Amino acid sequence: MKTLADLKKIREKAQEEMKLRGGNVRVKIVVGMGTSGIAMGAREVMKTFLEEIANRNLTDVMVTQAGEKGLSSMEPVVDLIEEGKPKVTYGNMTPEKVKKVVVEHIVNGRIVSDYVVATGN
Amino acid sequence: MQDISLHLLDVIENSVRAQARNIKIRVINHVQKNLLRIIVEDDGTGMDSQTLQLAQDPFFTSKEEREKKVGLGIPLFKQNAELTDGCFNMTSEPGFGTVLRVDFTLDHIDRMPLGNLKDTLLGAIIGHPEVDFSINLSYSEKGMEQSFHFDTAAIKEELGGIPLTYPDVIEYIDTSLYEGIQNTNMEDV
Repeated sequence: MKTLADLKKIREKAQEEMKLRGGNVRVKIVVGMGTSGIAMGAREVMKTFLEEIANRNLTDVMVTQAGEKGLSSMEPVVDLIEEGKPKVTYGNMTPEKVKKVVVEHIVNGRIVSDYVVATGN
Repeated sequence: MQDISLHLLDVIENSVRAQARNIKIRVINHVQKNLLRIIVEDDGTGMDSQTLQLAQDPFFTSKEEREKKVGLGIPLFKQNAELTDGCFNMTSEPGFGTVLRVDFTLDHIDRMPLGNLKDTLLGAIIGHPEVDFSINLSYSEKGMEQSFHFDTAAIKEELGGIPLTYPDVIEYIDTSLYEGIQNTNMEDV
């Protein structure tokens, strides 16, 4: 059984780490979670991002869910926002594609152009 | 939508879009009453009676600035509940919030499965760190009741400023939800 005491340990560990590298968020991921996105598998896309963050121990990445924005035919849609760079929008995402985006884009800094449906704002 | 937990995710997103800061979710599986009930209660902007009526109409959406003016989320959820001789009830008060209660007949042949409740809740909790979720799952059979309660406000307080996307926190929430869902037999409903 998980208890609040486990959280205290996590907090202490995370605070140590943040002292070393600062608490800044390097990459922000926004998963489109409108009705059409959900129907096309956005929940599994979200889950795969969370799994990859946990498995690869990525501590400078943030993931949020947001409503749809008119790209219904390309759902599930994901925005990747990095400080000082144009926003990259990936479309028709699947758990497999998410894994590739995590390795290529988030870890190695190379945009996966095959999946990109829009850039900039 | 292939399962009830996807509908649940869809209505949670509605609550978030209505600026809810607190969302209460209850899933009740009552075998003797042959009932599967989902309740979602938020403190968002709420709707007046006309909007409330319109929200159940497939050709209405509150999402502005878009070409296709349809909103199928609520009408499909309602239809799927009514297909099982269940019922769909939505009440709202502008400035106070919205309460949604959806009943399915548990053993009805047309009832869709509950589906992956864990991933719905995990994504919603972590994807909306500004919202506090209070989750209650309860399972009753032959006078025995198992219940699971999960409150994200307490977790956030314990974490101080550590984000919910911190890897160990994701695992913590995932495991807690998994155990709660197992203990209340919600995994293959």
